[in-house]
Amino acid sequence: MAAGNVCEETPAVTAEPATEEARWVEKARRSDTGAFEKLYRRHVDKVYGLCLRMTGNTSEAEDCTQEAFIQAWSKLDKFRGDSSFATWIHRVAVNAVLGRMRKSRREQDRIRAVGEIAPPRESIGDSGNLQDMEAAINELPSGARHVFVLHAVYGYSHDETGNMLGIAAGTSKAQLHRAKRLLAQQLKTASGEV
Amino acid sequence: MNDDIDNKDDEIMQAAAGLATEVAPGRDLWSGIEAAITAPARTGRSRWNSVWAQAAAVVLLVGGSSGVTYLAMKEPAFELQPNNGPNLKQLEFEPVAGSFGSQYNLGSDYLVAHRELDARLNQQLERLPAETREDVRKNIETIRAAIRDINKALADEPDNVLLQDLLLSTYREEMDLMIKVDGLASAVVRRNDI
Repeated sequence: MAAGNVCEETPAVTAEPATEEARWVEKARRSDTGAFEKLYRRHVDKVYGLCLRMTGNTSEAEDCTQEAFIQAWSKLDKFRGDSSFATWIHRVAVNAVLGRMRKSRREQDRIRAVGEIAPPRESIGDSGNLQDMEAAINELPSGARHVFVLHAVYGYSHDETGNMLGIAAGTSKAQLHRAKRLLAQQLKTASGEV
Repeated sequence: MNDDIDNKDDEIMQAAAGLATEVAPGRDLWSGIEAAITAPARTGRSRWNSVWAQAAAVVLLVGGSSGVTYLAMKEPAFELQPNNGPNLKQLEFEPVAGSFGSQYNLGSDYLVAHRELDARLNQQLERLPAETREDVRKNIETIRAAIRDINKALADEPDNVLLQDLLLSTYREEMDLMIKVDGLASAVVRRNDI
């Protein structure tokens, strides 16, 4: 996965579009919305999953997903193929989530409300202990949650995670440590251990 | 103790790695994305140009309406006695509030002045010679048809500055014509009085 500014890559020689996806990207760059829809269909579940885990809220995740694809459409000329389209659209999605959260002060309210209201949680396709884990991740403070989701769930390195979130790699490591401590406490409480 | 913590960390990281990374959104998000990316391109003008243009429009409207109010008020009050001429089709028209986007409205002074002039218009028209009256009526109807068309176009593109400017100048044309009719009819009455 390439490092660099989110959504912007240094110009590089564009490879001959060998894959189906690369052809879709090329067509989408020429304003072919049909090709862009194919890219959307292929990547939407992963983008939405990331947005859902980062925001912990289905409607915000839907908004962020839409915003990510709209931004991707308008910035396709900046995608040069140095990284995969999947990685690039992930970066765009992370940017969309962070941009949205910066604009909103509801995040702190949301964190407080999660414990108080405890609405029915959308199934994220896991079961048993993994649902406890999901619930615990959702209650993490946003900084720790974002790092944990990108690093532990999606497998990005600390350098990549820091780059996406606009923080230093060391801060990413510290947030991961914090996240693990909080998760351990929450899972311990959930399992009835003292 | 440290072993316990390390084991717990490993468990958490393993559980996180087992979480689903792809989640299907609860609804199809493509229609919203498609609508956004296929929307007509905005004009190249900057947001500030648009803001200034709208501000100018508001100033002109307020200034224009104040002037109209002043002109209407300074005329000495007199009672018009309708003659027994042929009854004309009543001209009916209501300016559309909110035509200038969500930030600006037609000024209340303008709307009051417009209503006053409009209320007198049909009476004044009956004072005019038949040929003049027909010309004025056609002109007024042409202007009002244009205003309706521009408003329809603005419903699709509420932030189109060119359309807003056009609407503003057309409203002013209508107002100028109504003022002229008002003055013309008054002159006719005065000559008759003499």
